[in-house]
Amino acid sequence: MTRRDVIERAREEGRLVAAVFPIRYPRELLRAFGIEPIEVWGPPRVRGSEGASHLQPYICSVIHNGLSFLLEGGLDDVDLILVPHCCDSLQGLGSLLKDFVNPRQEVLTFYIPRGDYKASKDFLVKELVILYERLRSITGKEPSAQEIMSSIIEEEMADRLSLELYRNRKRIGLSSREFVEILRKREYLPPKLFAEEVEKRLDVASGDVKGVEVIISGILPEPMDLLDEIDDAGGVVVSDDMSCLRRRLLKPGKSEDPFERIAERLLSAPYDPVLGCFFAERISFLERLIEETGAKGVVFYNVKFCEGEDFYYPEVSRWLKSRGIDFVKIEADITPPLPKQVSQRLRAFIEILGERCG
Amino acid sequence: MASIVKKLKLKALKFALGAKSFWDYITYSPPKGWRTDILAPPLRIGVKTKELVTKHYLEGVYIDGDRPVAWVTSGAPVEFLKALGFYVLYPENHAALCGARRVALELCQKAEERGYSIDICSYARTDIGSLLSRKTPVGKLPKPDLLLCCTNICQTVLYWYQVLSHYFDVPLVIIDTPFVYSEATDADLEYVKKQIEAAIEVAERISGRALDFNRLRDVMKLSKMATELWLEVIYTGKHIPSPISAFDQFIHMAPIVEMRGDSQTVDFYGAMLKELKKRVSKGIGAVVKERKRVLWDNLPIWHSLRFLSETLADWGVCVVTSTYTYAWGELAPMIDPDRPVESMAKVYLHPILNRGTGDKYRLMKGMIEDFHLDGVILHSDRSCKPYSIGQMDQRTNIVQDLKIPAVLVESDHNDPRAFSEKQVINRLKAFVEMMG
Ligand code: SF4
Ligand code: SF4
Repeated sequence: MTRRDVIERAREEGRLVAAVFPIRYPRELLRAFGIEPIEVWGPPRVRGSEGASHLQPYICSVIHNGLSFLLEGGLDDVDLILVPHCCDSLQGLGSLLKDFVNPRQEVLTFYIPRGDYKASKDFLVKELVILYERLRSITGKEPSAQEIMSSIIEEEMADRLSLELYRNRKRIGLSSREFVEILRKREYLPPKLFAEEVEKRLDVASGDVKGVEVIISGILPEPMDLLDEIDDAGGVVVSDDMSCLRRRLLKPGKSEDPFERIAERLLSAPYDPVLGCFFAERISFLERLIEETGAKGVVFYNVKFCEGEDFYYPEVSRWLKSRGIDFVKIEADITPPLPKQVSQRLRAFIEILGERCG
Repeated sequence: MASIVKKLKLKALKFALGAKSFWDYITYSPPKGWRTDILAPPLRIGVKTKELVTKHYLEGVYIDGDRPVAWVTSGAPVEFLKALGFYVLYPENHAALCGARRVALELCQKAEERGYSIDICSYARTDIGSLLSRKTPVGKLPKPDLLLCCTNICQTVLYWYQVLSHYFDVPLVIIDTPFVYSEATDADLEYVKKQIEAAIEVAERISGRALDFNRLRDVMKLSKMATELWLEVIYTGKHIPSPISAFDQFIHMAPIVEMRGDSQTVDFYGAMLKELKKRVSKGIGAVVKERKRVLWDNLPIWHSLRFLSETLADWGVCVVTSTYTYAWGELAPMIDPDRPVESMAKVYLHPILNRGTGDKYRLMKGMIEDFHLDGVILHSDRSCKPYSIGQMDQRTNIVQDLKIPAVLVESDHNDPRAFSEKQVINRLKAFVEMMG
């Protein structure tokens, strides 16, 4: 099922569709209202010129493309726009949309707190209640605690299955692109349909992956040619430390109160630079991934002008160096094609890594 | 014994500095090369500004162990730290000082050599470079015992302070302030208040003393007084010709940022206001032949202040005021010394950088009317995304709705590599021509 299919299905069923910008938001709450969240990570293939009349060139391409896509009519068939607060640029985009661009759809914002856990959780619960009230007045629906809870359980199941796919990465033998593409279906598929896709893959293992194992780290792997380059050079992505992928796999909550449980989940992510986590947290997350997968190297893929990622790189790379783990940092914007220089660098890295690992 | 000697030395240095500044004040004359044909002589209070800033950093050099030290972001609720006796250092101000003294580039490059991207805010690069190279124009920066990071200006500081915390291995307290898209909710206020209370507990532990709320109220009162005076200083710009320019404000804003809550800051702005009123009564304008009056938006370009001020003055343009300097005064009415914690939560939730792009446009619109302005220069600051996003639409609206010229000038507040003199002159020239 494509994004388009999901949107059309929602339309046929008389449900609303929300375009959701990165990175974290309460999917379960939207779905409890029957709203279909379709995530907008860019997208990579837009001309990007429309956004340039509102945004300076030093704002990242995720924001540029996202705004261009909206202005070019790419979001004409959605009913709502949700901009979570994840960085200064997304915050700016939310504000621009509300104050100047004024799209036809209502623009909602959502704040993920970054303070100490207790205060953050209390605040987040209130923020969720405010969002619930907004959605109630927009849809006229009033999902019960039980309905929200079952929506949460479904999302928890989808997170579990994604993790299962990671655990079986080497056995299922897909190319890097295929592997990432399945996981990224979470950006638009409802949890049950996503689960079907994953289970299908888990059942039909097609042999061990071959190639030099690497982990990719950053916000999102766009353009996806990046993954083909890795494979073509003899590498394979065995796991990732990316905001649109593994960094978003949340732990199941504990509370019986749906708002508390969503808050617990949103604050349970392994770690995330956008939440200002400590360097040590990112390092230990990477360490765990390297141990689990036996990866031989790390590819840092930074979207140009993404300050969060840029700040962590010096510390994390120093740690990798101290552990004798090879890494490379490449930087581009999300619009294809991948610049020649970037692919050459990437290829050289994988080849050298391959030679080193015999 | 060593500590007594150190204290005496500091006292002697401060005295010498005070005496020198007093002497400079009475024998005051404009610096060499000052363009008196186009600019009024610099404000006399500048002597005092220099003295205050130098004393502040000097104290830092000799502080070791005498008082706890906190490094804080510019928008941090600093009053409780002052009340607890902390010496407070503002890395952003230190970076700005490096920018104005033209050593920022070298420091930025030091940070870049260590892997920090050129796309990171140049204040952060300047300070990280200063830490790594141990170079600073102020002699030495005291090691912090506490880091206080308030996200009300940007998310950059959230990362920057992680770097500091990693480097110094000292506690980092974060005060997270939800962005105010349109109006702050009770939940926002409660969240910030709770974090301030938690921060107070940490600061009490580090300083080894309990917060005296009477002392806190006094500090809040002083903060409020200084902020109100700063606002009055800015308002003198409503006079035609304006006795003060935004460039003067940039130079004299250090005390309101880094010495809020001190009585000397109140005295300082009181004296500055007096000097400006005198200029008003004598009809002295900051720009000798003030022909056009404009607004500056966003951070100053620290490395090119003199160049910009002279270039514009040459054309008879006075940059009367700025959204940036105004931000340090506009929240004065929110400061309520009788409800210190609640009012800190409210004030520090509302700085310009934590409010929506539309709100900033409305602020600019108000300033254009109040200060009788003919145009707007929007510094599109490559380093500061939260301040810069929205400027393109703000510019469009200023031109279309308010029918006055507005120009976007691309640069960076601290990194001179992003500043093209030729391009800036061309854009400004075209802008001035449009104003007529
Ligand atoms: S790529 Fe970075 S800067 Fe851009 S939207 Fe994502 S988190 Fe923000
Ligand atoms: S990004 Fe802007 S607000 Fe943040 S530290 Fe840099 S200049 Fe200041």
